[in-house]
Amino acid sequence: MVNDIKTGIKDGLPIFLGYFTTALAFGLLTRTSGLTFVEGVLVSITNYAGSGQFLMMNLYNAGTFLLGIALSVFFINSRYIFMAASLATKLENPRSIPGRIMVGFGTTDEVFAVASFKGEKVSYAYMAGLIFTSYAGWVGGTACGYIAGSFLPDVIQKSAVITIYAMFASLLGGEASKLAKVLLIALISAVMNSFLILTAGVATGESFLISLLVSTVAGAFIYTDKEAGLE
Amino acid sequence: MNNSVITMILVCSAVTLLPRILPYFASSYLSRLPKFIRKCMMLLPVSALGALIFPLALTDFGSEWYAGLLGVASAFIASYFKLPMIVSILIALAVTSCAIIFI
Repeated sequence: MVNDIKTGIKDGLPIFLGYFTTALAFGLLTRTSGLTFVEGVLVSITNYAGSGQFLMMNLYNAGTFLLGIALSVFFINSRYIFMAASLATKLENPRSIPGRIMVGFGTTDEVFAVASFKGEKVSYAYMAGLIFTSYAGWVGGTACGYIAGSFLPDVIQKSAVITIYAMFASLLGGEASKLAKVLLIALISAVMNSFLILTAGVATGESFLISLLVSTVAGAFIYTDKEAGLE
Repeated sequence: MNNSVITMILVCSAVTLLPRILPYFASSYLSRLPKFIRKCMMLLPVSALGALIFPLALTDFGSEWYAGLLGVASAFIASYFKLPMIVSILIALAVTSCAIIFI
């Protein structure tokens, strides 16, 4: 159990670094939007969602009604329904109620991706280490960003952006070395998402959801049942 | 404390956390779904990776988009040749920093 927590913390370190630097910008945004320190940090404590929080603040600054903000944030977060349903099949003890609430609370894009490629099943101890480390980066970064702004030197702030993407690329590289077909599915979702965002002008949240679903269904035809891990 | 701000924060928290938490309480229902849907669930992580990387890994860097591309490519290659993830990420950090400074 202690070992699982340690492995989770270790796997969470790249996420910590990426979240911390992104959250600096978010913390600063809450201050310039007129929120108090407690309110700004409370957003990250209670929401714990990158794109959803930035969207919320942008709409708040634009004077959008609460219902409009809630619907937009729900829509950008609807991808989590699919991610959570997918990760739910990998839990070692799927019946634990506090365990499921904890994992559900922590199911961000990055936690989902790392946990999904972690062997057959994942324990709650592992998930606790992974989620706690990532959460600490997100909340800590928000607090520091509110107080100090983006205090990191420009080149460090800029290069730290690559951390999370490098983590995704690294997961993809690991999978590709096992089964090259992975690249075909990744290519479909990457090309589709790029086209929708850059050419068709679709908003990031919608575009991601569409690309995710289309490439998944395409993948179900490309993969055999056995390759997909289905008995 | 501003009540309308607190209300907004809590409402957004609910619409963020419910989609994440509720599916974990539907797992017995999920396992009875048709085989094709269950197969899609297994493939979701793989298909997420492509769209999680592109195009944001490039557009986040603006006019220095090549720095993002080089970073992502180096992490991919390093992991393809079985280097541990943390090493791949450090390589990507180094490559991206160099690209920003020198190109």
